[in-house]
Amino acid sequence: MRDTLLWLAVPVLAASALPAHAVQYLTVEQAQHTLFPDATAFRPVRLILTPPQRAAIEHAAHVRVRVPELTAWRVETGSQPIGWFLLDEVYGKHEFITYALALDATGAVRGIEILDYRETHGGQVRNPAWRAQFTGKRAGAPLELDQDIQNISGATLSCKHIAEGVRRLLATYEVALK
Amino acid sequence: MSEVVRRAQPWLGTLVEISATGAQAPSAVAAAFRVIAEVHRLMSYHDPDSDVSRINREGAIKPVVVHPWTWQVLAAARTFSLASGGLFDITVAPLLARLGYLPRHPGFPRCSGQGDWRHVELLPAHRVRLTRRVRIDLGGIAKGFAVDRALEVLCAHGIESARVNAGGDLRVFGPTAQPLHVRHPAAPTRLMPLAELQAGAAATSAGYFAARRVHGVCVTPHIHPLRRQPLPPASSVTVLAPDCLTADALTKVVLADPAAARPVLTRFAARAIVLEREARSGAWYVTELHPGEPYHG
Repeated sequence: MRDTLLWLAVPVLAASALPAHAVQYLTVEQAQHTLFPDATAFRPVRLILTPPQRAAIEHAAHVRVRVPELTAWRVETGSQPIGWFLLDEVYGKHEFITYALALDATGAVRGIEILDYRETHGGQVRNPAWRAQFTGKRAGAPLELDQDIQNISGATLSCKHIAEGVRRLLATYEVALK
Repeated sequence: MSEVVRRAQPWLGTLVEISATGAQAPSAVAAAFRVIAEVHRLMSYHDPDSDVSRINREGAIKPVVVHPWTWQVLAAARTFSLASGGLFDITVAPLLARLGYLPRHPGFPRCSGQGDWRHVELLPAHRVRLTRRVRIDLGGIAKGFAVDRALEVLCAHGIESARVNAGGDLRVFGPTAQPLHVRHPAAPTRLMPLAELQAGAAATSAGYFAARRVHGVCVTPHIHPLRRQPLPPASSVTVLAPDCLTADALTKVVLADPAAARPVLTRFAARAIVLEREARSGAWYVTELHPGEPYHG
């Protein structure tokens, strides 16, 4: 079967592949405006979760609370509270994501926006023995470092961490903001 | 005034990124995300109220009326199953649930373990019936369909150029060709230029982020539908096609059987680029499967 595939086979050099990418989609202010276009005020609320609150959140969300500080804004139109804007960070093996969760006045999810997305290098790339397995190079593909890579067709980076983060924030709302 | 908008939201189990340039970009992107959210609501396997869950729960008992979009995706799935001799199959869901890639739905009827795509019957008036107790998952092609619908909405808003990327299922529109990058299977945070894309769609399937160990064996969420076994995380397959639904569906066919995929690619005016490791030397190779190339089998 290999023979049927080989005619255009070109060896690939992983070391020449571009490094991981990072995107800033929105600033905090832009995200606030995007999620609450009708808001007239965002009042910052800084909250440190107490150990019993953290335990309650972990129990309800089945997710660890790594950071006790909560970065939140109470959102108002006129002087009427219309919801909450919560800023949070999650990370996985390869990625680091900053996102915002918007809740309406009843605590229901109004929207989620990604603010920052950063990928980290796998540690194995720096290992010379691992790199030595790649021979040759990809033909006809000049590589420009630092160019803005926009079209990445790659397997899905799971949204599991964002889903867990949202679950943790919803439990935090119930325990500390409601 | 021309404006550039680039936003990302989590939908369909992945990060969906939409970017658009044009005077109407902000409202166009907002409308495109609403369409993605609607596809998510209809076709999520996880959501117990989606069309997919209603089919899985009740489809073997009585015909289930679904949204025209769901019906359209099911009809497309059937076309790909027919064209590929079953190498594309939306009924591998029970195996994916057993491997931990899909959630278990405790209240749902048990699967018979026998049956395949042929037992998903499409009836008039957007009704669907399961003639055996199978379970469906539209995962990848629902993503591809969502990307296609979102791009339509962006175009309808009169934008100049746009891009929709749902975790590797992507589609571009605009006056200039854009380089397409894929992840290196052995170092997935490193990106490689692979092709130029001006219009049309690309989708990549690979096991690198999803591979896991089950009973000591490394598996991926890619199932060989005829053998009903997970494929090893050996390669990365990118398909370029006129639309994203087709591109996503055909990655599964190429992953399962590259040689058998050739005529299927031809039929749907698609081409595939495979990144794989040669067993003997351990070196990685890029291979291209062109529909126009003669078959040297």
